[in-house]
Order: sequence, then structure tokens, then C-alpha cells
Amino acid sequence: MSDRYSQIVNSLPGRLIAGRVGLPQPTPLERHRPGAPVLAGRALLGAAPGGRLAGPLAKALADAGVETATVDADELRSAAADAGLDAAIFNAGAGGEQRFKALVFDATGIADSTQLVELQRFFHPTVRRLERCGRVVVLGTPPAACSGARERTAQRALEGFTRSLAKEVGRGATVQLVHVAPKAEGELASTLRFLLSPRSAYVSGQVVEIGPPVVKKAPAVDWERPLAGKRALVTGASRGIGAAIAETLRRDGADLVLLDVPALASDLAAVAKALDAETIELDITEEGAPAAIAERLSDGVDVVVHNAGVTRDRTIAKMPEERWSTLMEINLSSEERIDDALLEAGLLRANGRIVCVSSMSGIAGNSGQTNYATSKAGVIGMVEALAGDLAKRGATINAVAPGFIETQMTGQMPIAIREAGRRMNSMSQGGLPVDVAETIAWFASPASTGVNGNVVRVCGQSLLGA
Amino acid sequence: MNPKTRPVAVVGGNRIPFARSNSAYSKASNQDMLTAALDGLVDRCSLDGERLGEVVGGAVLKHSRDRDLTRESVLGTRLAPETPAYDVQQACGTGLEAAILVANKIALGQIDAGIACGTDTTSDAPIGLNEDLRELLLDANRERSTGGKLKQLARLRPGHVVPAIPRNEEPRTGMSMGEHCALMAAEWGIGRDEQDELAALSHHNLAAAYERGFNADLVTPYLGLERDQNLRPDSTVEKLAKLGPVFGGPDGTMTAANSTPLSDGASAVLLASEEWAAERGLPVLATFAEGQTAAVDHVHKREGLLMAPAYAVARMLDRAGLTLQDFDLYEIHEAFAAQVLCTLRAWEDPVFCRERLGRDEPLGSIDRDKLNVNGGSLAAGHPFAATGGRIVAGLAKALQERGGGRGLISVCAAGGQGVVAILEAPGDGATAKKTTKGGKR
Amino acid sequence: MDQRTLTRPPSILPLYARAAAPLVPGASLLPFVPGRGAEVPDVELTLPDVEPQASAVADYARVCGFAVRATLPPTYPHVLAFPLHMAVMADGRFPFGAVGLVHVENSITVHRPVEIGERLTLRVRPTKVEQHPKGRTFGLVSEAHVAGELVWESLSTMLRRGGGGDGKAEGGERGTGNGREAPAGTAAQWKLGGDLGRRYAAVSGDRNPIHMHALTAKPLGFPRAIAHGMWTKARALAALDGRLPDSYRVEVRFRRPILLPGTVAFASAAGDDGIDFAVRDARKGTPHLDGRVEPLQTKQSKQTSGRKRAK
Repeated sequence: MSDRYSQIVNSLPGRLIAGRVGLPQPTPLERHRPGAPVLAGRALLGAAPGGRLAGPLAKALADAGVETATVDADELRSAAADAGLDAAIFNAGAGGEQRFKALVFDATGIADSTQLVELQRFFHPTVRRLERCGRVVVLGTPPAACSGARERTAQRALEGFTRSLAKEVGRGATVQLVHVAPKAEGELASTLRFLLSPRSAYVSGQVVEIGPPVVKKAPAVDWERPLAGKRALVTGASRGIGAAIAETLRRDGADLVLLDVPALASDLAAVAKALDAETIELDITEEGAPAAIAERLSDGVDVVVHNAGVTRDRTIAKMPEERWSTLMEINLSSEERIDDALLEAGLLRANGRIVCVSSMSGIAGNSGQTNYATSKAGVIGMVEALAGDLAKRGATINAVAPGFIETQMTGQMPIAIREAGRRMNSMSQGGLPVDVAETIAWFASPASTGVNGNVVRVCGQSLLGA
Repeated sequence: MNPKTRPVAVVGGNRIPFARSNSAYSKASNQDMLTAALDGLVDRCSLDGERLGEVVGGAVLKHSRDRDLTRESVLGTRLAPETPAYDVQQACGTGLEAAILVANKIALGQIDAGIACGTDTTSDAPIGLNEDLRELLLDANRERSTGGKLKQLARLRPGHVVPAIPRNEEPRTGMSMGEHCALMAAEWGIGRDEQDELAALSHHNLAAAYERGFNADLVTPYLGLERDQNLRPDSTVEKLAKLGPVFGGPDGTMTAANSTPLSDGASAVLLASEEWAAERGLPVLATFAEGQTAAVDHVHKREGLLMAPAYAVARMLDRAGLTLQDFDLYEIHEAFAAQVLCTLRAWEDPVFCRERLGRDEPLGSIDRDKLNVNGGSLAAGHPFAATGGRIVAGLAKALQERGGGRGLISVCAAGGQGVVAILEAPGDGATAKKTTKGGKR
Repeated sequence: MDQRTLTRPPSILPLYARAAAPLVPGASLLPFVPGRGAEVPDVELTLPDVEPQASAVADYARVCGFAVRATLPPTYPHVLAFPLHMAVMADGRFPFGAVGLVHVENSITVHRPVEIGERLTLRVRPTKVEQHPKGRTFGLVSEAHVAGELVWESLSTMLRRGGGGDGKAEGGERGTGNGREAPAGTAAQWKLGGDLGRRYAAVSGDRNPIHMHALTAKPLGFPRAIAHGMWTKARALAALDGRLPDSYRVEVRFRRPILLPGTVAFASAAGDDGIDFAVRDARKGTPHLDGRVEPLQTKQSKQTSGRKRAK
């Protein structure tokens, strides 16, 4: 699983040689450590005039304890004052050596393409001040929610900017666009914390949608243990990404119910023991599986993570039906049935979460993976289909779409394919299972009440399907 | 105890021209300069043989021999030798703090008249014994026998002759004041241009003040200097823009021109009760209405070292029932152009005013045409403890000259301190609103 | 009168050589060596455009205990005039060599304080030889003018021991020359270092060997180096700093020399019409210097009392 290339090019001689011959030099990514601050450095807050998020952003930054500077604009300074954000002033013309760990820009004020220059004005003098593994978050309005054609055009344009900037920043930095729907201004906290923190180390070039909250009153959250008192089901939890998800949710305070097939019972037991978890040894494709799960979760469940999945690669010309169907059962159909069973029995508790694991293949497609990509695209469909319904129930459904994640499975790939997968992204490296798990934990957080119907790729901004 | 207070008059002031370090006054000691400043004031206000309530003064850089610097200086003047004196030291706030101390005693009726003064030399600076040598000598002194003394003295090493030269460095942060101010400039986003503009304006204003004779009864020539040596009437933003930064690294915005130079000089200002002044036919230029000090925790709370005046002014305004706009003149000590600009910016800033000052609304902007109208420290120079007296006397005269009004003084000081005050002069010129009754709490 | 105007201050060292030359037996027969004349020549030396340097004044002030002020210490013009004194006494027609002369009295009249930066014209001339109980005396009158205005003058009375005199001692041991009682008590003690003579020499230019070192003082009859009389006077005036009016006359009589190093006591007594002061040996009370400051009647009065009082 070790990424020897990264180790070599990050050694001193390796760095020199790689630099000379133009090889990619991946920056070691910072990852979250318990107790660490949201942002290990200063954030700079900027805004296009007339935006609606300066206040909410200032409040979210203040609540997150992020040391912040703002550009010297009255709107921002007043907003910061009102939010209790003790922010310094940054004046690009003043010189100095100030550097920032994060650049946060409220672009909601951009209502016309002529105003897109505000992006240039803010980022041109600041992007070089972004530190290693820095974070850029641009906030806009969902184009569909814009009032006029000009505004919609301009807001849609932001995506081109953030996706390109994500490819320019380098050095482990990430760039995201966050669409904040009207009436969702108060829902920034969990998403901003996730995107600013090292938890989102391998998430870049993404567009995140924040909508109105699915519950009337968002609960108070202990940000170190947001899932304290919550019950979470994780399928496919005995290995790899599943085990990382279990660990991460446990770290966040969840009581776990871990599920895997009987064949992996011993692996599952080992994971469960370490995490003080219940286990369900079950083949989810069995006919009685949904009922059995509902039975075990008769007290209700807060978070359901559909992680179980398999690959059965073959081109369609060589694909027998059995190979297609087994995969589809595991990766998609069983998930639908389990969801139905839990929802029908009313077992998904208030402010509940369903989190699915899609795949980059489900978005970009992949030769030899018609079956897999179909199932994972189906997962996206499921998220889109259920989001509205679940919102009405006060719950959310979202999906992660991992790119190249370093697991046992990728470790067995032929080296050429493995290296291509690792390097063909903005980070020039593969992600870790924990990167997927952190993203899932963000979706699962009871504070993420406005995050619904999202499919967020954890791919280091892979070149594929971008 | 006397519960009543009475108005305190600023009667007159005097200073010697300020010299650049190691120049015109390189041979003059603090005591020499303070004596000269005091004697000039004695002449100007006819205080020959007068026994004043007290003289309060000090210096920031003091020799160990200058234990009672102010008293010794008084003894060298024509004031009655029966005039008591004591030293104070509050870094660059020394001069203004001395004025507050004298004013308070007059207000309480404990004295009728007194002089606040200050002096500093960076040329005749105290150089201490090498700390190791000092300890060695003390050890030797403690030995009773000659043999013991010799044994201690045998520890002498060549390195011991390296003296301890006082450094302009904050003891708890190890950074110079300029470096601290560079941090503030960065924190407040203060640009190079605005600093240079302030510096050039300071020179122009001071030059104009000399030209129209404003300083004729404020400054007495000394050792061949008739005007402040640092004054460059032909300063322009373009010329200043050519200088390289001296603080804040290669990208820094602070230069030798928009930072005050090391300087030598002394000043004194006579305060008295109105009755005392009237008895002697001396004018009341202005009254010393308010004084306030404040300090910030620049070590642990991420506060700018020189931001304390921003706090002090806010508190003083609250006490006096005034707003920042209720002034006709503002005297903000230009330790660094950036310090002035940071302070002004802080008062305008909703975040600073809310978070640090606990106010719902910012203090707001001032009319920059009222700021340091007769020049500031950037042009005049800044012999640390002498600056307060320069400003008090200059502002009092400026208020009287314009036919009344109210003036604000703000002086930043090392150690994260600030000393501020309000002077008022009655008359038609007083456009700003009167102090609200009962403002003093 | 022989009036000569110099363009620069005479250089001191050659003057010393000539001043000391009469000590060599027979040397006074040479035309350029002083000691031949019976009467002082009627000569006046003028040195225009003297601008005291602030830095040199400060050094002088420091050694004498004056504050460094915008004005000259009252004794400073004397230092400026000193080279002219030497030049006058080195004149071949002069009856005495300068070395061996004793400075017995000095009277300075300050008509107004002299600002540093003012250009002075200095004039020096000798007065006639007079008989003295211990020998013969003559005076050296020095004047400082600013743009034609007499601002300062001084009369130094020099004694040549022996060779005349009626042998009567003048004045009591404790009295001043004007018959006043010298003030008693100790207002201040001054601890004088062994290097005082050399330090004063460095700032005044007066490098008379009797002040420099025991080794150079012994051949001239002193067990150790002695303090300059004008230093003692300056130090006494410095002690009165701040108590002095703008225009005044201060006269002193030099009594016993102060051996260095040593400790002396200073005393002063202010009356309605002036201040008396004295410097004595701290332990034995032996008088070193008596003096008196008297304010002038008006600042404008161009008194020439110094000259009148010349005996």
C-alpha cells in the first residue's frame, strides 16, 4: 500500500532529481489529528460587494476559532464585528509577508459576468500567500436559485474558476465551490469546518450544495464528538475503506453496528472489538437481509453508511449475466431494499443520515467496469431520488465518490495502472481510506442539516470525469 | 480629604530644539538638556526664584548617576532650590504622564503650580558594565581580604570589557519597537504610501509652524540649534518613496523617514491653577481637562505593542462623555507613521471597536486636517520623555491661537502602554461640543 | 600703543618654550626671550571672529561641573583668551617669563550671557607693573566683544615673587581681599582626582607643568601637581549655577594651591548684594580660594570695574 514514489521524490535527492526531470512531486498531505484546530493557520476572508454570506461566514469562522483576517471592506468589517470575529485587516497593497492557510471568498454578490473580476481582484494578490496544504473556499448561489439570467450565468461561471484554480494552487492545497441556497445561510458551519480542515485533504475541485436545513432546529454539536449518542450502521466494515469509516465514526462518538458477510466474520470481529461495536454477519443480498437488519436496529438508527461493494470487472462483451447481477445486487439493489425497510419501519431517527459510497467510475465511466459503473451511477441516482423525500422526513442522503484510494485492492493493481491512477490528479498521489471516511463523517454529522443530495468526489481532483 | 477639584491651566511651555542622535547634542547630558529646557521656561514665565509646588520629569534612558535627575536639574536652574522634584518613567509616555501627575495635584489643591518635563539622549546613552564583569566586581567587593579580592579579580577575562549597550528592544518579546510596529502595520494593512504621506505632511506642517513663528515662544535655541535638526521642509512623498525598508523585512513598509529617528532633547511645561496664573499675569493657554492611561497584553494576547492609546482614548471619551469627533485638534504622537495610521484605523474599525473596546459602534474617523497641524514627531524627532511636553505646550498654544477649542493627545509607549489627555480652551473657536456635565465619573 | 590683530590663535607650544626659556641661566639676554624689560610693553592683541565650538564648550563644562547650556560658562572666554595671554607674556620686551608667575587674583565681569554661536572678538593687554607685598604684580585684561558690544571682561593679576615688595602681608588668612569674612561651613565636598590637572589642561589648553604631574611640578617647587586656579574658580561658579544673575562681576583671590589628588570644601553665603564663596582644604581648613559675586546695577551698564580695580 505504500506509495514508494512519493517517499522517493520527497527525499532530498529524490526531490532534486524529480524537479530536474519534471516528475510530479506530491506534497505530503496534512490530515486531521484529534484535538487539532480546524485550521492550522490564518484564514483570509474576502467578498464581492453585495454578497449575503459575509455575516454567516464571519460567524462560522468565529465559532470555529479560526484566526481570521479580512480584506479592508466596510461590509466585511461590520459583519465581522457583528459576528464577534476578532479579525485583522489585510491590505494587499501594504506589502508584508503575511501568509494564509485558507482563502475564503463570498462570491454571492456577483450578479453579472462583469463582476466576475472580483475573483481576480481577491485571488490575484493572495493566492501566492496560500500556505502548503492550504484551503480555498469560494461560496456562491446555486445557479438554479438565481433570480435572473445574468446572475445565473455569472454564478455558473464560478465553477470554471474553482476547478481551474484547484489545478493551479498545487502544494497540497484544495479549492472548492460551495453553493449556498437562499435560506441556507445558517448551515455553513459543518461544511466550512470540513472544507477548511485537513479532514478534506483529498477533496478538491468539488462543488458542494448547501440547502435549507432538513430539521427546524439544528442540534448543538460537540465538534470533537459530533456523533456522541448516535447509532451508525456501516456495511462492508471489516476491511479497507469500511474499517476506516467505522474508526472515524467511532472517533466522532458514534455507537457502531458493523456489518459484513459471514466469510469475513473474523476480520469484522477484530474491527468491532477495537471499536467496541456490535456486529451483524450477513449477506445483504439475501432475501431476508433487510428485515434482519431492521430487526437488529429496532431501536432506530441515526446513520446508515452503504459501503459494501464489489468489483467484477469484465468488458460487456465478455460479461456473463451472473457476474453483472451479483455485483448489482450487492452494490445497488440491496441498498435500495435496506433503505426501504428502515424507512418503512420508521427506524431512521430524526435528523438521520444515509450515506452511500459511489465511485469515480460511476461518474466518469471505466473500461471493463460497465457493471460497476452502472451500479455506482445508480447510487448517485438513488441519492438524487431520495433526497427530497428524506428532507421531508428530516433526514439527508449523500454520497462520496472515491477516486484512487490506497487499499489492498489498489495494491494488487498492475503497476502502470496503479501509477496512472495515483498521479492523474491535482494532488499527484492517491488518497487514503480515512479521506473517504472523513467525508462520510461530515455528511453524517448531525450539524450537516443543510447538506443533502450531494455527491462529493474524494479523488484529489482526478483528471477522469472531472 | 478634599472632594473638590479645580481647573488646571497650561500656562506655558519651553523646549530646546530636538537634535538627531550623535549630532548637535552629543556632548550634552540629560541633566544639561533638562536644565536648559527648564531655564528657558523660567525665563519665559518669569519664574526666577519661584518656589513651585513641584517639578516632575524623567528620562527613559537614564544613567545610574542620574538617580534624581529632575531634582538635580531643578537645582541647576533659577527656580528656588526649595522647589521639590521627582522622577517618573513610563517610556515614551513619561512626559505626558508627568503632566497628568502635576495636573492632578493642582486639581486637588495640593499644589498651585508645577512643571512637567522630560528629557532623553540617545547620544550620551548609558552604557552598562558587562553583566559578568559587574557580578565579578560585586563578588570582589564582598570579599574581606585582599587575597580574596585578588582571587575574584583573577576571573577577569578580555570579553568582560564588552559593555552592555542599552537596546531598543522589548524585554519580553526580544523584538524592537520598529519590528513590533511592522507587525501592527501588517495586521492593519497599512501601506507604504500612506505612511510616507503622513511623514511628508509632518515635515511640511512643522516647517510651516516655524515659518509663521508658532514656535517662537515654545522653543529656545540650544548649542547652536534653532530648529529641530531632523526637520526636512522639502520632504516629498516621491523622495521618501526611494528609501528602503528598515523594519518588517524586505517587503516592509517602514523606512527611516516614516519612523522617528533616535534623537536628543528636552521639554518642560508649566501647569498652574487659574488663580496662580492670574496673580502673576501669566496666560491660561488651555486647561488640562482629562488624562488617561491604558496598557495592552502585547506578549500573550496578540495585541499590537503600540495600540494601547486606542484603548486609553476610548475609556477617556466615555468618562468625559465625548465622542472622537468632538475635537478641534488632534495630537497623535508619530512614533511611527504606521502607529498613527493603525490607531486611526482601529478607531474606525467595527471589529476592533466591538471585540477589543466592547463598543457597539466604532469610534469613527477624524478630520485628518485637524491632525498634528503643527508637525509631529516624525519631523521634530522624538527624544522619548521630551515628546509629551512638546505636545502639551504646542497643543495648548494652538488651541489658544485658534481662539479656543478642544484637543486630544495620544502617546504610545513601550511595554504596550498608552497615555492620552484632553486639553480645552474656552472661546469662540470651540466648535466641538462642550464636555457634558457630570461626564467625570 | 602697539596694537596687533591676529588672524588665528597663537599656537601654544612654542609660546611655552619661550615662556620657560628665562629659567635657563643667561637666556634672558637673548632678544626674543622675555625678561629683559623693566616695564610691561604697551601692547594689545586682538583676535577677531572667534566662534566657540559647542563640542569643546561641552567638554570644558563637563570638567568644570557646569551644565551644558546654550550660553558659554562665564569662565570660558578666559580659556579662549589664554593663548593671547601667553603671546603677550612671551613678548621679548616682557619683564618676566610666564613660567613661575603666580595667578593671585581674577575678576570676571559678565555683562550678558554669551550664546554659543555668537562670534567673539577677543582683546588682551597687560597692565603696568605694581609693587606687591610678596613681589611685583601686573594685570592681564581680557575682553570679549560681540559686534562691538563688550559682553565679557576679565582681569588676571599675576605675581612675580621677590624682587621688590614691602614684605607686608595683605589681608588675614580668613579674610577676602575686600575685607569680607569668607563664608564658613561646608556646602559641598569636592573629591579631586589626581588627573584633574591633565583633564583641565585638555579642555583649556593651559598645560603649565605645575598642573600636569608630580614629576613636572616638583622641579617648579610643588610636592605634587596642583589644580588650575581658573578651574577652581570655574568649579565654584558651577556650584552657583542657577543662582547667578544675567550680569555680574565675580572676583576671586587664589590663596594656597590645591594639591592633587585632594578633597576640598566649598562654602557660599548669599546676601542681599551678592554671594560670597570660598574653597578650603576639607580637613585642615587651609584657604584655597575666596570669592564674591556681585550683580551689576543694570544690564546695560558698561562697567569697567575690572580695570578700575586693577592695582
